[in-house]
Amino acid sequence: MNRRDFLNRCGMGMGSLGLSPFLSEIMQAGERRQLNPLSPGKTHFGAKAKRVIHIFANGGPSQVDSFDYKPALEKWHGKNLPGEHLKTERKTGTAMQSPFAFQQHGQSGLWISDLFPKVAEMADDLCVINSMHANVPNHEPSLMLMNTGAERVSLVRPSMGSWVTYGLGTENENLPGFVALCPGGVPIVETQNWRSAFLPGAYQGTHIDTKNSEVRKLIPDLRNPKMTRNLQRQQLDLIQQMNRMDVDDNDPGVEARIHSLELAYRMQIEASDAFDVEREPESVQELYGKTLHGRQMLIARRLVERGVRFVQVWHGAGQPWDSHEQIEKNHGKLAQEADQPIGALLKDLKMRGLLEDTLVVWGGEFGRTPTVELPTPGANSPNTALGRDHNHHGFTMWMAGGGVKGGITHGTTDEFGFRAEEDRMHVHDLHATILHLLGFDHELLTYRYAGRDFRLTDVHGEVRHQLIA
Amino acid sequence: MRKGGHSNAYQREERKEKEKGVRLHEIRIGYFEARNKRKSNQSDADPAAFFAHILPVDPLLACSTVNWSDLLMCQKSQTSSYLQSALSKLLVGWVALWQGGCLVFASEFSPEQIEFFESKVRPVLVENCLDCHTGTKARVGLELNHRQGWLRGSDYRKVINEQEPAESIILHAIRHTGKHDAPRMPEDSEPIAEDQAADIEAWIKMGLPWPEEQLTEKPDDPFQHWSFQPVNPPSLPEEFTGNAIDYFVEKRQSAAGVKRAPRADRYTLLRRLTLDLTGLPPSWKEMKAFQEDDASDQEALLAAIDRLLKSPHYGERWARHWMDVARYSDTKGYEAGGRDRRFVYSYTYRDWLIRAFQDDIPFDQFLLYQLAAEQLVKGDSPDKHHLAAMGFISLSKNGKTELVIDDRLDTTFRGMMGLTVSCARCHDHKFDPVSTKEYYGIYGVFANSMQKAEPLIRDPEPGPKLEEYRKKKGELEKKVTDFINSKVTEMAKQKPELAKKRPELVKEVERNFRGKIRSLRTAVDKFVADQGMEGDRALIVKDLPKARPQHVYIRGNPARRGEVAPSQFLQAALPGKTPVPFESGSGRLEMAKAIASADNPLTARVIVNRIWMWHFGEGIVRTVSDFGTQGEKPDHPELLEYLADWFVENGWSVKKLHRLILQSETWAQQAANPSGDGFLPIDPENRLLWKFPRKRLDLEQLRDGMLAVTGELDRKLYGRTEKILEAPYSLRRSVYGFIDRQNLNPVFRTFDFSNPQETTGKRPDTTIPMQALFTLNSEFSRKRAQYLAVNTAVNEDRIASLHRAVFARPPSDEDRQLAESFLSSYHSEWNRDGKRQTNSEWSYGYGNISEGGAVSFTAFPHWEKDRWQISAEYPLKDDPRSYLRAEASGNTHPGNTDKESVIYQWQAPTDMTIRISGMLRRDAVGKGNGLRAKIHSEAGGIVGEFDLTEKSRSISCGVDSLVVKKNELVHFVLEPKNNTAFDSANWAPLIARLDKPGEQWSFREDFSGPADLMDSWQAYAQALLNSNRFLFID
Repeated sequence: MNRRDFLNRCGMGMGSLGLSPFLSEIMQAGERRQLNPLSPGKTHFGAKAKRVIHIFANGGPSQVDSFDYKPALEKWHGKNLPGEHLKTERKTGTAMQSPFAFQQHGQSGLWISDLFPKVAEMADDLCVINSMHANVPNHEPSLMLMNTGAERVSLVRPSMGSWVTYGLGTENENLPGFVALCPGGVPIVETQNWRSAFLPGAYQGTHIDTKNSEVRKLIPDLRNPKMTRNLQRQQLDLIQQMNRMDVDDNDPGVEARIHSLELAYRMQIEASDAFDVEREPESVQELYGKTLHGRQMLIARRLVERGVRFVQVWHGAGQPWDSHEQIEKNHGKLAQEADQPIGALLKDLKMRGLLEDTLVVWGGEFGRTPTVELPTPGANSPNTALGRDHNHHGFTMWMAGGGVKGGITHGTTDEFGFRAEEDRMHVHDLHATILHLLGFDHELLTYRYAGRDFRLTDVHGEVRHQLIA
Repeated sequence: MRKGGHSNAYQREERKEKEKGVRLHEIRIGYFEARNKRKSNQSDADPAAFFAHILPVDPLLACSTVNWSDLLMCQKSQTSSYLQSALSKLLVGWVALWQGGCLVFASEFSPEQIEFFESKVRPVLVENCLDCHTGTKARVGLELNHRQGWLRGSDYRKVINEQEPAESIILHAIRHTGKHDAPRMPEDSEPIAEDQAADIEAWIKMGLPWPEEQLTEKPDDPFQHWSFQPVNPPSLPEEFTGNAIDYFVEKRQSAAGVKRAPRADRYTLLRRLTLDLTGLPPSWKEMKAFQEDDASDQEALLAAIDRLLKSPHYGERWARHWMDVARYSDTKGYEAGGRDRRFVYSYTYRDWLIRAFQDDIPFDQFLLYQLAAEQLVKGDSPDKHHLAAMGFISLSKNGKTELVIDDRLDTTFRGMMGLTVSCARCHDHKFDPVSTKEYYGIYGVFANSMQKAEPLIRDPEPGPKLEEYRKKKGELEKKVTDFINSKVTEMAKQKPELAKKRPELVKEVERNFRGKIRSLRTAVDKFVADQGMEGDRALIVKDLPKARPQHVYIRGNPARRGEVAPSQFLQAALPGKTPVPFESGSGRLEMAKAIASADNPLTARVIVNRIWMWHFGEGIVRTVSDFGTQGEKPDHPELLEYLADWFVENGWSVKKLHRLILQSETWAQQAANPSGDGFLPIDPENRLLWKFPRKRLDLEQLRDGMLAVTGELDRKLYGRTEKILEAPYSLRRSVYGFIDRQNLNPVFRTFDFSNPQETTGKRPDTTIPMQALFTLNSEFSRKRAQYLAVNTAVNEDRIASLHRAVFARPPSDEDRQLAESFLSSYHSEWNRDGKRQTNSEWSYGYGNISEGGAVSFTAFPHWEKDRWQISAEYPLKDDPRSYLRAEASGNTHPGNTDKESVIYQWQAPTDMTIRISGMLRRDAVGKGNGLRAKIHSEAGGIVGEFDLTEKSRSISCGVDSLVVKKNELVHFVLEPKNNTAFDSANWAPLIARLDKPGEQWSFREDFSGPADLMDSWQAYAQALLNSNRFLFID
């Protein structure tokens, strides 16, 4: 066998690596996945969405200032709401109207505030869920609930991205299947937000600190700085020749390793390409905005375009959307950072025909109260003013693309936007619906561990067929 | 709550399916309860008495669960009397029931009654009740979707009044009478029509007729599951003299028509053995001695086994295995508010494990120490170091108390007994015979052991450093007390009413200044952890002074207390015995003794199976931490029984078990079987062990192995943890590496390291490209190759020295040929006329394109602060080249005139067709006169020219297709148009190969400082470390 033959065989994957015929027959898909856990998986039924971009406005964005229009708050502004307040993290006082004006947008006439003018341009593609609810008004458990379906921080559960990658594998083996973009560090509860827990490590999210604008510093060990590509190719050829020489049977583990060396070589090229937004035409870079958030959203598009299965885009380290005070100033600044990139992402995906099978999900771990937060000694700053507290009783998330109906709202909160009322949708229901869009019955996507089958939705979850186009 | 919508036919169908599943579950649970009752009350196992006992509860259950086999297995003469007695008691029971005039629970209902249920009752239930009262999620635990659920009632009380059916709570509830505190159901809704309620009342009076379907499935008795039976060792034939393992393995092999592979050669065996026992590869010297040993194969191997079992590295390797089980971590888990997460003394547990394996502490004793050392060892005795064993309990994940306890309980039972007891936290175990009450019995043991302590087991090293440390620590501690005191004084003035009650003041201060005080305390913790100057302390737990009774927490919720659960051992692990409540303190020592008992059917089986897995890659039972009914069955049942028994008979000695396994022919066979193609279809998973399972090095073997073969490994034993995957790279063995439970370095899991959040039975075994990126590119791997190449270089035969170091054997002729051809071709590419400026195909400099069209190029002489420039001084004063530079981002600046244009030079590594793209950008729009870019190739001259005028911000500089020859130069020239003002620009070209898509050269990514490429010997050494020959054990 000459070198070219040899390399061709390596490059073409295991099927052609001279496995004896019955071995390939006997090795069912399941076993192949054990060796190469990222090879494409099978869905339970036809999928509407093939990949997910989850934009995480961590900290808890306020629904009554963004996507849940409550004119009643203007009437009640400065007055106590009738009845007892629902319990949230801290004490809140009178109703506070939104400092942001709401308008109707698009053919659908969705109400969206001035916080998100660019997102509003895509109103007819948004499926706004106003009736989301979670269990508790604290960040850690709510992040865990949103990301893993289990709110106890000490419970060990895989993240949604890990489940999806476990179920679907990846369309591009030259890139990680699940990527978490978070600039400047990690959110609270840290890497637990994207870890694979008891699923194999291949399904853990790869965290990329997008604050780093130098592509080669984004992924560790992506290339050997002490070799040119030519030199490394020579080295790799030598390794593969030695590996070939040592093969004494058709051991699938050995074949898999030979294959993965080639994948790694290609990943070096493709990954750096994917993360280099400067390769985009000027007009596209300007559409997203040449800012940190513009860049990371553009990276997200480049990743899904290349077959990455699940991309999570975090607003930033810690809990940036947590505006306990000065909602106008703080939310104003955050939305200003996020609006253009998100609007651009939707537009761009649509233009490329990618929105059809890419599910975009936006939201926080919960929302905020329609009432003003009161100062609490020792907890918040004494000059708390015009801020809102956490609110898990009712909040808004939206989805777009990936087989959801556009230009609709689902469910409602009460008159003030405090508690989800009609068509209440729990986080578990959201998970069930997302998995359904990806082609999975959430009750059947399970993993056997510690004596039982685990799943993302545990024993909960109901698919909301009303949202599906 | 009632749902607004009406279910359609599909949903109804779906619901029926769910009900069916739940019913099955329910039957099982009912069955366990029945069995438990039988076990506890009828220890003489009189089936007839059991019958009578269960009869009033549920005759259906009684009939369906009676163990007829018990009856049949009785001596024939007795059978009839048993049956007679059973039947007479049955009759008495019936009569009693009839005479009492209360509810009739018949085993059969008339078709009319069933029809009544189906037409009048079930639809009402489906419409109004079952949304909330179905299955395990049912509100208040009241399940109305099956008859058992009606009979059981809610978690709090019964809903059916058997004496006076009309007074049943459930009837009050649906009629909204409000009597007996009955809730109004369905919630938030009008009551159902009275005629429907009357139907339900009539139905209750009939005795809840429910169709037969629910009891047609009779589950196997989980108490009969193989792993709960006493170990029952098979005997060997008298004439058999070989290794018992081979006997049992061959027995199954020959039945299936497969055969063991030939014995592996000495090279393979020593490599396998050394990696197995010590986690390190053998050295060339050891290998040579072994290969040249005149003794027989068996004797030479035994000598090697004994040598390696004595090596301290054996303890390091096998301690790490147990650390997977013990979910070892150096941090507690997530802590909010910047608190220090480290366990300062976690390493004392790891060191204890290393010593325990080295000393071959009998395994039962090994378990006892980990669960209850503080009750076995006196704090001042020379044995006090055994206290560190309790890290097994103490190094648990932080969190709410009930989850900390659950974690400890789960780690103990899954780790030591292969039993998933935790399932019973919220409901009786669905599959295994563990009830919620039993769970909370064990839970009580841990709940009553929550007192923490950190006794000193080794004094710190005295000396001036310690003095210094203590002084600083004292200062930090004083800051905390000073702060509190000052605030207390302040507050005493503000609140004179509290002035004399200091404790209350302190409490108040702690509450009001929580953040500040926490950060001061964290500073102390952090200092202690960082300095590592304290002596060694054991992390132990102690019994609470007075044991509190433990209640069942209904559905796992501590706020909902049920009955008291006596602390006692699990019935499932006490075959033929009845559990008796623990008597002493928390009962932890008694529990530990019951686990580490030769009579425990699970413990010995589970550990011999784990040890088997750590040798063979898979257990005899593949679900190594689940021996319950949902786990796999053993592939070699007789062998497992034999080994478990043998292990206990041999004093629970792990080292003896190693010897037995390692001397078997089963272990010594090759990883490839010449007849493999024929055996594969018979047994594709190699469960019959017709070849030795080939294994990849795990993370520790890989990292330690690399350090060992280069000779860099620091073989120091014991001590505090060090970071092993971050620079500066510790050279100690991986077992001493810092394990951060919350944010584990991703490289660990990339290589399938165990998950430190929970006990790990078997690590996953995956092959992914990220692993190769680490071994090919990481600084760790490059440094090893460099060290190896530099230090193994002897004047004689470098190829041979490298092979001997890495593989413990000389190269073959073929190896040599490959090596020589690689070294020469790599070297010529590396050297490239000896003119290489950087580590890539790119060079950076300045110059111009002459009139004749030739490029004059001068490389930048100076590298400073990650950029190429003219001199150390930047900008260089009074020089036309003052602002010239090149940097990774593409930001650049030409000199004053076109003679000092910036030039990027790229040399084609081979013949190819390329496409060039990239943007030239500048920010100072409207200022200066702009810039001009030219792309030039040696063969083609100027192939592209682009004028960026002062008015524009950017221009695309591309060439669609260009053919280049190997070593041809392509130049990217940026001219200032003879005016350098406002000429800061950005240009980062991209070259993509057209004839081979995917291959490309990016200015940005390839950007590099002065050439320091790995030379051919380093590259060769690294290739050896990346070969399968090194990365696989066989």
